[in-house]
Amino acid sequence: MSAGDLANSTSSNRSASSMRWGSAAREFLRTVATVSVTILGLLALTFFIGRLLPLDPVLAILGDDASQEAYDRMVVKLGLDKPLWEQFIAYLWNSLHFDFGMSLTSGKPVTEDILRVFPATLELATVAMILGTGLGIPLGVLAAANRDTWIDQVVRVISLIGYSAPIFWLGLLGLVVFYAGLGWVGAPGRIDIVYQYDLETRTGLYLIDSLLAGRLDIFADVFGRIVLPASILAYGAMAYISRMTRSFMLEQLSQEYIIAAQAKGASRLSVVWGHAFPNIAVQLVTVVALSYAFLLEGAVLTETVFAWPGFGRYLTTALLRADMNAVLGCTLIVGFIFITLNLLSDVFYRVFDPRTR
Amino acid sequence: MKKHASLLKCVAITAALGVIPAHAETPPDTLVMARNIDAISTFDPAQIGEVVTDELILNICDSLVGIDPEDEAGVVPSIAKDWTVSEDGMKITFNLVEDAVFPSGNPVTAKDVAWSLQRVLTLGFGNAATMTEYGFSADTAEVDLVAVDDRTFEMNLSRPYPIALILQAIAANRVAAVLDSETLIGEAVEGDLGNKYLTTNSACVGPYALRQWNAGEVVVLEANDNYYGPAPAMKRIIIRHVAEAQAQRLLVEQGDIDVARDLGAEDLRDLNANPDIQVVSTPKHQIYYTAFNNGDPRFADDRVRLAFKYLMDYDALADTVMAFLGIPRASVVPLGALGALDKEEGQPFSLDLEKAKELLTEAGYGDGFSARLFIGTLPYTSAVAQHLQENAAKVGIELQIEQMANAQLFSAFRGREFDTVMLSWQTAVPHAHGMLSRHAVNPDNSLEASLTMFPSWRGAWFSEDFNKRVDEALFEKDEAKQIELYKQIQRDHMQKGPFAYQFQLLDTAALGKSVSIWKWNAFRVYYADIEKG
Repeated sequence: MSAGDLANSTSSNRSASSMRWGSAAREFLRTVATVSVTILGLLALTFFIGRLLPLDPVLAILGDDASQEAYDRMVVKLGLDKPLWEQFIAYLWNSLHFDFGMSLTSGKPVTEDILRVFPATLELATVAMILGTGLGIPLGVLAAANRDTWIDQVVRVISLIGYSAPIFWLGLLGLVVFYAGLGWVGAPGRIDIVYQYDLETRTGLYLIDSLLAGRLDIFADVFGRIVLPASILAYGAMAYISRMTRSFMLEQLSQEYIIAAQAKGASRLSVVWGHAFPNIAVQLVTVVALSYAFLLEGAVLTETVFAWPGFGRYLTTALLRADMNAVLGCTLIVGFIFITLNLLSDVFYRVFDPRTR
Repeated sequence: MKKHASLLKCVAITAALGVIPAHAETPPDTLVMARNIDAISTFDPAQIGEVVTDELILNICDSLVGIDPEDEAGVVPSIAKDWTVSEDGMKITFNLVEDAVFPSGNPVTAKDVAWSLQRVLTLGFGNAATMTEYGFSADTAEVDLVAVDDRTFEMNLSRPYPIALILQAIAANRVAAVLDSETLIGEAVEGDLGNKYLTTNSACVGPYALRQWNAGEVVVLEANDNYYGPAPAMKRIIIRHVAEAQAQRLLVEQGDIDVARDLGAEDLRDLNANPDIQVVSTPKHQIYYTAFNNGDPRFADDRVRLAFKYLMDYDALADTVMAFLGIPRASVVPLGALGALDKEEGQPFSLDLEKAKELLTEAGYGDGFSARLFIGTLPYTSAVAQHLQENAAKVGIELQIEQMANAQLFSAFRGREFDTVMLSWQTAVPHAHGMLSRHAVNPDNSLEASLTMFPSWRGAWFSEDFNKRVDEALFEKDEAKQIELYKQIQRDHMQKGPFAYQFQLLDTAALGKSVSIWKWNAFRVYYADIEKG
């Protein structure tokens, strides 16, 4: 190789590398722009929906019996007498600083409330996702690998029940059978009152906090209480994940490379798990991420039945009480969760699927 | 490494346990109650506007006097050990106890009493109406509510109101909860007189003190060791938020809680048959009713409103969806109030479609009409509304039910933006005036007047005759005569009044076998008198 060739090759490598970096930078900027526009849209949407809802935040503060003079004073105090655009600018500015104002229902800053209730939902949703994914994927693969056999039918029926049974009803039934009847699980609520003030909360996730504190008794109590609501939530997630897994797997199992692998004498196990499954793993990431996002949004009914002081219940109560600051704050958080998980699944796609680069 | 081993051991033990036994006993010195506590939003007595926090605050903050636990129509000393009334009946002088001390260590003085009452008027929340109704105002508060010395407080009245009524309506009410003025002045933000501080704290003296409130999770009260009165039996009262009635039922059946407070008719009926559970009820001074917009010519006709009263099978509802939750009542004055019509006379209506049709025809609506019926989210509301809807359809009235959040419902009612609406109204006074002063009186029906504290105004209903008669009855000195005046007002009000009153609501609780004494009446639960064992 001549010096000129080397120089050309180095220059061409540099150019390729710089093109790659340029492309990555453009991609990054595009993502930032997309996320920024989405967040701005979300902020605008939540603000204007909040103003359109036929709920009166002034009455929520003053009480139904307040005089008109007191009502008018509070309108001014809350800044509701200002033009809408002025209110929106103030809302934008505060939201960008994670200041969602004071909650009317708790009397505390909304951010503080969200930080208090979110770990309860995070813990419940995470246990549910571990169970749902751990069962849903193998079941889906099993159903696809045994298409139209009794195994497939059983998995489909299980999934169908998971889809169609009202979670509220399942929760109550679970309580009647496993709590009141068999005594296998703890009472509704996140922790026994006996332990309520014994546990030092470091992460807000009681399972972890009790382990960190080395309190087996508290861990057992918390585990006994979370296992039923998490299983019920997991059932719904499992139904969705197993159906999607089955569908993705069926598509892969009908591909020519599978027939080739079978013709080469690969075992059934190797064909399914070694050849077909890795090709659906990326798609499954999106399915699991979306399921997780839905659970993090707050399983309102499950949290209600199991007296679980989580995010979903907080948001619903805020809505019913016309606590608009809390409603808007929670809606934004839900939006952030979806955006973040979508971004993460995009990243996974790019990392694991070369076709998307 | 050692820590990790311990964590693994912990997980292994839990997994090995396989089953986690339910904890089924509450501590003997702690009362654990399940209740929907979503409505709590503040512990400021000037701002509290709903029943759950009202119950709590009356056990945390003593008022000038208290409602007698043995006779809800009477009052007993509290922060005021006794009181005297001037000859002209225009001044009440209260003498205060000497040994009451706030948690801050500040002694309770007459200055605190005056400041607390004046504060209610200055802040102007809904509760201020409790005082403005009897002539008090923010402008004259310093003259009318006076601390004579540390132990003497004077209340000057603008008219010679019945003293018993003032004691019940104001002195025993949460508006007269005595607050620690020094602490709250120190905690004030932007002249809010400590309102923000009291959102999550208490600064008063009572048998219990607020230890913790996590919205939508739990409220913890602890016995006040420095209480000037008798020490409460329970060291701690824990109110756990359990919104779902069936979950409350399971918890009380399993013994994981001592008391369940928000059960539905079905659950209560079943629990009543359980020998381990005691179902107890007390009538509240709260009436469930259907309001009509009298600004609409159809509902402005007395005969149309009267027809609606014949469209409900009250007894059937009382035995089913309203079992343990309400008793039929057509008079606005609840049973138990001074001057109330008795049970029979106070409920003369029954399902009578022919009568309803006849009244509608007389009013010119023989072919019926259609209207919206707004309802809230109380568990029994849908069933009651559907019952009314079905019967109304039989006489040609098409009611379109629209269910909405309670906040939205109140907003529509307050803004006169409704046709008909189902909701309830509660008074804190065991006296006919408590209800009649809001449901039969409307000083000014004009839109500009915005007298939203009067349901009669919200319903755009006005009667000079009723205004006069309620005032006349209030100032009648002869009690027998006064009672008769109130009874006659109720009889006429049932025929011509603005709304159709349907049920007097009951407060019902399911007590676990751990609870041996449960003390309550229409106005409060006496936590300090509750015993277990």
